[in-house]
Amino acid sequence: MNADVVIIGAGVVGACCARACAEAGLSVIVVDRGAVASGTTGGGEGNILVSDKEPGPELDLALLSRDLWAQMAGALGDSFELDPKGGLVVAARSETYEHLLRFADEQRSCGVIAETVAAWDLAQLEPRISRDLVGGVFYPQDMQVQPMMAAAHLIEAARATGRATLMTDCTVTGIDRDAAGAISAVRTSQGSISTRHVVNAAGTWGGEIAALAGVELPILPRRGFILVTEPLPPVVHHKVYAADYVANVASDNAGLETSAVIEGTQAGTILIGASRERVGFDKTLDWGVVRRLSRQAIEVFPFLADVQLLRTYGGFRPYCPDHLPVIGPDPRVPGLLHACGHEGAGVGLAAATGHVIAQALTGAPLSIDLAPFAPERFEASHVG
Amino acid sequence: MSDEIRFTLDGEGMTARTGQSIAGALIAGGAMSWRRTRFDDRPRGVFCGIGACFDCLITVNGEANVRACLAQVREGDRVERQEGTGYGE
Amino acid sequence: MASDCDVAVIGAGAAGVAASVVAARSGCRVTLIDVGDRPGGQYYRGADLSPSPRAGVDYPALAGDLDRLVAAHAVDYRPRTTAYALERAGQRLLVRTRGDDRHRQDVDIIGAGTVILATGAFDRPLPFPGWTLPGVMTGGGAQSLVKGQHVLPGRRIVVAGTGPFLLAVAATLLEHGAEVAAVVEANDPVVGSVRQLRGLTSGLGKAGDLGRFIAALARHRVPYLRRHRIVEALGEDRVTGVRIARVDADWHPIPGTERVLECDAVSVGFGFVAQLDLAAQLGARMIRGADGGLAVEVDDDQATSVPGLLAAGETTGIGGVEAARVEGLVAGATAAVLSDHASALTPSALERVRRQVARWRRFAAGLHATFPVRDGWVDSVREDSLVCRCEEVPVSRVREAVALGARDARTVKLLSRAGMGWCQGRMCAAAVDGLCGFDDIASLQGASYRPVSVPVPLGALAAEPVEG
Repeated sequence: MNADVVIIGAGVVGACCARACAEAGLSVIVVDRGAVASGTTGGGEGNILVSDKEPGPELDLALLSRDLWAQMAGALGDSFELDPKGGLVVAARSETYEHLLRFADEQRSCGVIAETVAAWDLAQLEPRISRDLVGGVFYPQDMQVQPMMAAAHLIEAARATGRATLMTDCTVTGIDRDAAGAISAVRTSQGSISTRHVVNAAGTWGGEIAALAGVELPILPRRGFILVTEPLPPVVHHKVYAADYVANVASDNAGLETSAVIEGTQAGTILIGASRERVGFDKTLDWGVVRRLSRQAIEVFPFLADVQLLRTYGGFRPYCPDHLPVIGPDPRVPGLLHACGHEGAGVGLAAATGHVIAQALTGAPLSIDLAPFAPERFEASHVG
Repeated sequence: MSDEIRFTLDGEGMTARTGQSIAGALIAGGAMSWRRTRFDDRPRGVFCGIGACFDCLITVNGEANVRACLAQVREGDRVERQEGTGYGE
Repeated sequence: MASDCDVAVIGAGAAGVAASVVAARSGCRVTLIDVGDRPGGQYYRGADLSPSPRAGVDYPALAGDLDRLVAAHAVDYRPRTTAYALERAGQRLLVRTRGDDRHRQDVDIIGAGTVILATGAFDRPLPFPGWTLPGVMTGGGAQSLVKGQHVLPGRRIVVAGTGPFLLAVAATLLEHGAEVAAVVEANDPVVGSVRQLRGLTSGLGKAGDLGRFIAALARHRVPYLRRHRIVEALGEDRVTGVRIARVDADWHPIPGTERVLECDAVSVGFGFVAQLDLAAQLGARMIRGADGGLAVEVDDDQATSVPGLLAAGETTGIGGVEAARVEGLVAGATAAVLSDHASALTPSALERVRRQVARWRRFAAGLHATFPVRDGWVDSVREDSLVCRCEEVPVSRVREAVALGARDARTVKLLSRAGMGWCQGRMCAAAVDGLCGFDDIASLQGASYRPVSVPVPLGALAAEPVEG
């Protein structure tokens, strides 16, 4: 077996990389030790958000990515339920609201559309929302996809070019380098693949893949649970979340943090997130998290008190110490590129990630400066 | 009879024995289905009969999605057939 | 709220009743949680048992004992209550419970040193065109209506699927005055005559049951159509008949053998699926039972791989009511010892019971070998036949998920929504595995992990006090 590039990981990031590379004319093999979307992609909500990003490199990436998602959805005929529903961030206290308004001002200067919503106007956007909130900000650019379908259909689109192959149940056992230290092959449970390029799209497990190639990448799991309700008619129309979510996303606290993120789905269920805990890979449901998320969700939408919790699911967000993903060529190993560590924003940032990975592989000009996402930035000797 | 209780299905009077499940009373009264599905609008009634399949969902006194096979009928219950999610569209 | 006990028993069928009685007789504080209105589970539902005054370990004696123990407050019996989750809290386990569907805000948390899982099983359904029509129900559903509600699901009923339970259902229906159009059995349990089925069970108490069922069938001249299968249920808004066909040994229909049986109700079942949600939540090690389905692994003391968690009855592998009862006795004795009480069962009595467990398990293995599920059922589903009843997912979408790269039941669920609805895959898991050719215990386990085993209102969860 051989390919121009081997992509490790069939989650949404690997899928976007596969499609972009195949479209760019490269031959691609995608390998995953499980099935399509069986890791963090299958444990997420499918957020494509700009609203929760502070000005900086991640916001720039997010803005590019949302436009690329919209294009991909157009090209693939809505096979993954892309819903440009918009996000509504709400505040329950005036201090939080003032902070939110300042945050929105900063975002606007970077190209984010953010519309201030007064307390009495919230019900126009969300008729069932609590009357006790002090106000909110509406972000029409926020979108949602069904992330598992997105990953599956993007890989399908890559395969449709005739240049991409998917190998599931295929575990990477080693990465070979030649005398010059460059990538020469990927060894797997289904045989060796000759290649000059590897894209590490292994998400939360990206550190392990990097280690196989002989380099260190500090990616750790941050657990999250999502509550799923019984199916309802469309009653929550946007992605609605409490302003303190933004603070939690960027937090370095190792303990449990929760903030209500509530949204409807096309299937009728309502998804309630988001919790963040650094507890390794333990997937046992924590009922303390369920209680806190239920309380916070009911504060925003009181009608949820009578709605039943049907199931929960969870996943492990891959995070780096500086909460930025790792994207681009690794100067330590010629031929190795990374596309992982997106924390809770993997779906949202996947489209741009795949786009720039393909540009880097084909030598095309990059749409975005990759320096803030450089893989070697964690090395002690690295001068940023 | 003292152990006979009265309830309504979509406003129509029905009777049941004390302790009978809603599903038992409805089937005894000749109804075989009381829910229509939310995508294909198809009729459903009892399937597993022991609370595992949730096919027999029904609205009781305004509360949607009660399993008719497990819930007992009570005197004066207002039982209503369900459409879709049970919460109106 | 937040009560405490030595032993929490979940399920008041034969296994749970036996376990509760032994544990309470040994001096343990026992809480017995059950979905039903009264003890007995699916088998003894509505049974006319005069509580036995004499001591013993047969079910009537145990049921009488339980009544007295409940009256004496030695067992805290909680009917119409569902355990929706099990959680570890240090050395103890927490059982999260909810009231019935009319009291679903009534939640509680029960702490226990030992939990005995005796949650039984439900029918294993397999899809065929028309299986969602009203009037088509599982064997357990038909029995619950007749035995529990004294209501017949129809006047003329076809009983179909595979297993000795078909005979039990047919006999119950006949006893209550229904006409049974036919018993349609996909396997061929008897080469020659129905008598040989009795031979299979000779020397065991259960043979009495089977003999009675077969006699009832003969008396009412009900055809026992072996090597036959329903290939379609007919009707518009309710079932009006079934199309059946002769099948080969692998259940593939034989062309030219189709015919229609008119009926107004159908009872179907292809064996049983154990209720394992609570064990899976704690990560208990699973095995394949003798019927190929998932079961909790237990040792000779009925202990699972999770400290403090015991299991008895169908959860340890589908084995029938007698296996459940004797395993419950053993589990009760183990729970007593774990709670630092001397077991009420003497060592010699316990030894006798253990031998009975082994005997009933051998009996069950023999039955499962006689009534397997064969691949040919897939022949009769069509692309538009529903697999997942809740989310209305047709066969075509499940196959599409496999084409998109799904390799296990969990990924099929994520890509097709089969198993994401109200029943959380209980009704479609077997069908998905069969359709996709998954034959992997990991796939079965992935599909059977349900963190919340019964829906709970968010308001009830939000109102819980913060522990500690």
